[in-house]
Amino acid sequence: MIDNFLAGTATLFGDPFTVAIFVFGVVGGMLFGAIPGVSMLTLAAILLPFTADLSPAQGVMLFAVIYCTGTYGGAITAILFNIPGAPENAPTAFDGYPMTKKGMAGKAVGAAVLCSAIGGVTSALIMMSATEPLAKWAIMNIGPPEIFALVFFGLAVASSVGGRTIWKGWLSVLLGLLIATIGQDPVGGINRFNFGFSDLAAGIAFVPAILGFFAVSEVFVQAEKKAVGKYEAPLLSVDFPSIVELWAHKIAVLRSILVGFFCGILPGIGATLAAFMGYGEAVRWSKDKSEFGKGKLEGVISSETANNAATGAAMIPLLALGLPGGALTAMMVAVFQMHDLEPGPLVFYNSPDLIWVVFAAMFYANLSILFIGLLETKTILYLLKIPFQFLAPMILMLASIGAYISRGLPLDVMVMFLAGIIGFFLRRSGYSIPGIVLGLILGKIGEQNFAQGMQMVHYDLGTYFSRPICTILVIAGVLTLAKSLYGAFTPVARKTA
Amino acid sequence: MGKISKPTIIEAFFWIVIAGIFFTYTFTFNQPIEIYKFGATGWPRVILLLILFVAFGNLYYSLRHGSKAQQDRVGMGDDTDEVAYDSFGAYLKTGFILIIPFLYALSLKPIGFYCATPVFIVLVMFAWGERRWKFILGSTLFIYILLLFLFMLVLNAPLPQGNISPFYDVSAFLLKMKTQFDQLF
Repeated sequence: MIDNFLAGTATLFGDPFTVAIFVFGVVGGMLFGAIPGVSMLTLAAILLPFTADLSPAQGVMLFAVIYCTGTYGGAITAILFNIPGAPENAPTAFDGYPMTKKGMAGKAVGAAVLCSAIGGVTSALIMMSATEPLAKWAIMNIGPPEIFALVFFGLAVASSVGGRTIWKGWLSVLLGLLIATIGQDPVGGINRFNFGFSDLAAGIAFVPAILGFFAVSEVFVQAEKKAVGKYEAPLLSVDFPSIVELWAHKIAVLRSILVGFFCGILPGIGATLAAFMGYGEAVRWSKDKSEFGKGKLEGVISSETANNAATGAAMIPLLALGLPGGALTAMMVAVFQMHDLEPGPLVFYNSPDLIWVVFAAMFYANLSILFIGLLETKTILYLLKIPFQFLAPMILMLASIGAYISRGLPLDVMVMFLAGIIGFFLRRSGYSIPGIVLGLILGKIGEQNFAQGMQMVHYDLGTYFSRPICTILVIAGVLTLAKSLYGAFTPVARKTA
Repeated sequence: MGKISKPTIIEAFFWIVIAGIFFTYTFTFNQPIEIYKFGATGWPRVILLLILFVAFGNLYYSLRHGSKAQQDRVGMGDDTDEVAYDSFGAYLKTGFILIIPFLYALSLKPIGFYCATPVFIVLVMFAWGERRWKFILGSTLFIYILLLFLFMLVLNAPLPQGNISPFYDVSAFLLKMKTQFDQLF
């Protein structure tokens, strides 16, 4: 492994053009992740056609680097503006934004930098040392029933966080699932809920919906506060967390690495569910649950460690099985295909150089999060000084471009603003925007795997639940739901309206 | 009991109507799939029934507790609760803020990105309460040039050009300038 890693490093840093691509990916991923309104997906969508001119290793490496640094970059906007750069940063905003409001933005961003780097580097090391055995394990033990069970568990966790009540948490997730059914059904390709619009046959695109729910609705919320004279600019602080503060959360970091890596390794799941599960587990094991969501450092640490831990793991099903774990890894498949390559087991034998350049690049990209992240953090915090009346049109414009570019349809810009308006009203009523987004992302994956699983076991639930991993995950999901339901009938804590 | 408010009734009505409309619509694509027993409607109908069930749970909770938050809820954004409208003007301002981006989205196809964007930026800043015209024009120019530089020149992103004259002609002129600029290098 070490020889291969060194060879990958030599190839990566031996060619100035490859180094330039690496640096571009690192800086571009961080910037597009950290600018409110656009995300690493916007950058990836724009760059996709240009990768045809690069070598396969350079193209895949560029996207892998953007994936690592963009996942971290999205935490910045989640913490500073309550606008997650990507869905995987949504749980970071639960505690990150309240910390900013309390004047602790520096601590939150500092923790995000460090934990993203720790999660990412650990994940890259495990990926390098165990891709083949882990891929074999995944092939043997993970099938559609397990993936559906994990989706079910993840949605149960998501409904228990965010939203003013458990009912609103569930309604948020169910709305996301309903939106995900728009377009063709995953088994028979029958058009559903297109209401006569041919453009809806392909379904609601993730990028515009996510931008609308996260970025546009937040701009509207702040605008409303301005309109009624309740707007307060966030407080600026550049105090980093101390070593003692971070060391106190070592168990949370370790737990999130395990949770993040496990979620990442499963085909189709990716970093978003990892972040929710990491956050959910932090809440579950905490002695003081009531502090979560009000600006607890552990919330930021758990979510950011888990999502970056999933980045390395997500490469395992992609490279070993050819199954992408999210939107960005799906674009990586497109890069492979542009160069007449198919990701899958053969790529390890046919293109080992490519694999180890990508592995080495991901390792160094995660390390660079630590160094560049710490250097840029103090500068980025000054974004809070920019007046929101200047930032608002900027965010809306960038979001419009981001929504349009992914498919080149003005309808997507409309969808984004519609999602923004719906998100605005739902937020006002205490619904969970991250819950909607997770439902939207996992809905199709869940349905597809449920259908495949049912066909696999010939609709026999006994066979379905004879699979241990599937059974454990379903029981965990049911227990999570039961606990939430029990909470729904306990006395209320605080008045919010 | 008796804690139910008008917004709660509207909320419940909203979910029931959504579930009803979507459920009715499922009959338009209720075709059997040979290889899959539950067909194209099975999954969405389960979701719609769950929405209906949970909406009634939500209504029941509101009847018992009003709009109070549930104990031990995590990650609940409660900052929006501070907002209370005290005048009709405040409603108008919020309505204006919500409608402008929608008009911008509608205008993208006929007018195009290059012509609609500066007007949109000015309107958004105005809606946000900014009244210093020099600041508005300066900021608009800055944002517009920055966007053109990043997406048109650096990233070569395809943006909508519009299909109505003279807007289309302006877009074409800008793109021609960009091509000539590219040829310089």
